[in-house]
Amino acid sequence: MTDGHSDVSRRRLFQGAAGGVAVGAIAAGGAAWGLWPEQAAAADRDQIDLTNAHPFYDEAHPAGIATPPQRYAIYMTFDLVDGTLATDLQTLLARWTAAIAQLMRGRPVGQVQPTRIDAVGGDSGEATGLDPASLSVTVGLGPGVFDKRFGLADKKPALLADLPALPSDRLTKATTGGDLSLQVCSDDPQVAYHAVRNLARMVRDTAQTRWAVLGFGRASAGQGQETPRNLFGFKDGTRNIRTTADLDRHVWVKDGWLAGGTYQVVRKVQMNLEIWDADMVSDQETIFGRTKLEGGPLSGGGEMATPDFTAKGKDGKTKISLRSHIALAAHENNNGIKILRRNYNYTDGINQFGQLDAGLLVLTYQNDPASFIALQTKLGASDLLNEYIQHIGSGVFAVPPAPRTGHYIGEQLFA
Amino acid sequence: MSRRTTRRVAASTLTAGMAVALAACGSSSSGGSTGSGSSAAGGAAKSSNGVTQVHITLTGGDSDTCTLDTTTAAAGPITFHVTNKSSTAITEVELQSDQRILGEKENLAPGLAPVKFTLTLTGGTYQVYCPGAKQEMQDFKVTGSAPKSTGGTASTLLNQGVKGYAKYVTGTVQSMQTAVNNLVAAVNSGDLEKAKKEYALARPFYEKIESDVDGFVLPGFKPTDNAGNLDYLIDMRQSNLDPKVGWHGFHAIEKDLWQGGKITGSTKKLAAELKTNVGKLVGLTKTLSYKPEDLANGAAGLLEEVQTEKIKGEEEKYSHLDLVDFNANVEGAQQAFAFLKPGLDKIDPALSKTIAKQFSAVEGKLNKYRDSKIAGGFVYWTPALRAKDASTLSQTVQGLQDPLSKVGEKVATAQ
Repeated sequence: MTDGHSDVSRRRLFQGAAGGVAVGAIAAGGAAWGLWPEQAAAADRDQIDLTNAHPFYDEAHPAGIATPPQRYAIYMTFDLVDGTLATDLQTLLARWTAAIAQLMRGRPVGQVQPTRIDAVGGDSGEATGLDPASLSVTVGLGPGVFDKRFGLADKKPALLADLPALPSDRLTKATTGGDLSLQVCSDDPQVAYHAVRNLARMVRDTAQTRWAVLGFGRASAGQGQETPRNLFGFKDGTRNIRTTADLDRHVWVKDGWLAGGTYQVVRKVQMNLEIWDADMVSDQETIFGRTKLEGGPLSGGGEMATPDFTAKGKDGKTKISLRSHIALAAHENNNGIKILRRNYNYTDGINQFGQLDAGLLVLTYQNDPASFIALQTKLGASDLLNEYIQHIGSGVFAVPPAPRTGHYIGEQLFA
Repeated sequence: MSRRTTRRVAASTLTAGMAVALAACGSSSSGGSTGSGSSAAGGAAKSSNGVTQVHITLTGGDSDTCTLDTTTAAAGPITFHVTNKSSTAITEVELQSDQRILGEKENLAPGLAPVKFTLTLTGGTYQVYCPGAKQEMQDFKVTGSAPKSTGGTASTLLNQGVKGYAKYVTGTVQSMQTAVNNLVAAVNSGDLEKAKKEYALARPFYEKIESDVDGFVLPGFKPTDNAGNLDYLIDMRQSNLDPKVGWHGFHAIEKDLWQGGKITGSTKKLAAELKTNVGKLVGLTKTLSYKPEDLANGAAGLLEEVQTEKIKGEEEKYSHLDLVDFNANVEGAQQAFAFLKPGLDKIDPALSKTIAKQFSAVEGKLNKYRDSKIAGGFVYWTPALRAKDASTLSQTVQGLQDPLSKVGEKVATAQ
């Protein structure tokens, strides 16, 4: 940190708090202590260094994709207002880029307290004194950017197009689409919110917010991370992409101006928690194809064991249902397709029926959106989980490569 | 009811002139650190076609710097070229004299093309202000003397505008008096439908100038006593009632006409009171004088009113005439801006242009709701219509609010 404020005490505080949570969990469930000693040790390892800042400029790939998932995410999309010119879009992307560089270093995007009379603040100020908290901001460009409005049709990434209607979709217009997207992730929710708020603010006369999801409790594992849980209580992302080789093969675009970037497909998936909670755990395990506590495949072995989709039980049926979530999503059953997931749990409070309004913010990255479409077509048609979830939001965006120092995200479009 | 600063009549009439005089002296409390031994390179400024050329370069890294290729120039026209090579913290550069902005460029970011602005400067010491730089303020010395411009300075134009605006306010209040008299006559005649129509016709006048008159406290009353607060007595809504003072004014009459559906003795009493209070307002308004920043802040205040009351349908809870008030707030803000515009065009033509464009955008949106068959000229802002359209209308207003919020600072520091 270069801002001169004390970060040591904050870091200690946070670690203290994390330790407290772990102790609390042990104290609350004596049984858990007996069943689950390795998890207590893991909680001790999973400490957060709020002073950590990720690099932004001159990286091989954009921030926030291969970056180990942080604890919180805010996802927001924007529509460019009527009358926006190509030069306005250029300014927007350049201003966002410079501001993101500031924010990822834990710095404000302008004066919090202006020195002149009658001036409005450049930065809203609520992150003043907070550390970078591993903030990453990822900018996406929707298909609309490449329509007739800005003369960029010839720069449209080859594979960027609106997603087709997929089985089981129950999309609402209010949570679908957008010309631009921001994925903001951080280990401190206030830092993440400050970032997205100020980025939205600085472009208000050019871009209007369309929809947003506030995510918590990362629900997918990155390299070197423990597998977290989704709100159904199951480990999520055990078989997520974790190696550089897989990222190169399945995630990063190789050619054209998008080289080094990727495609983002996002889905807002509502989960019927009350109904799920009334289901017996053995059925829940059948639906996922994994055990609930350890997360091991029902074909046997620990969490990391490779599922055996052919193994049969005494009843002659496969131990892992062919309609289970892991069987339908597995790369072995999908011509080797893998996508990178950076999922987060979300809640919008209580819905109009008095039920918990919550679910999963599915953020995926792949070098061809067809990978997502193929997997979701299969899942949407057959997944046993469909009884408990609805896909209510959707978006597809191209994520430009990381900017070089002195340049901005998407600058290649205006060359 | 506005949340803006209370304007006390006596104080206002006494100090308005003084405030202008004080502002003209400029403030002596300087903001950033004024570099006496300027760091920039020396050497004579280059000249081209009789215009001196000064280059300002912004660079980033561990600390952001703002470098001038020369810190002295001969009096006359000077073009400042600004290039942001790599600074993410510096997004604007200004030339100032005693904290007054003479010229500036905003939205600077790495990767964008260089920009320039030209000023005709006479001998003296100016400051180049780069908020966010390691050294924010640097002296720029101009030697010799250039012919002073003959009128037409920003400050002259602004002061002309302010006088024009004062006439606009008194004219509007007088029109309101006529309209309120018509309303009172209709109420007294017992004609419910005519009273509703006259109510709709009287409302917009108040909403156009509300930010100028909503702080009046009648002589002899404490500022906190609502019994002496003219805005309370004229425009209070039921949701914010002060039980000690009771309900008076437009909205109490609105409730009788629309919810009660009849004119009672109490309605007639309320109407008579309204007539008296509007009469007092007419007298007080004639004593007002304004500073340019009053117009700017007043315009911003009217848009705040739109966002907090009209969008939500709280203002005209019973009649659903909120779009009439909405349009009047916007028109009032637009008038204030129109009177500032000639001056603002000198100070910051880009900002002026943006605001004009955003006013048109709001107007365009509002025009869709016009209906000449309904008294007041707009469709009813019903809960169903609000649910459908409030968000997009609010965002369009926000696109205007943000640039407009910068005007106060610009005009307060103009010369």
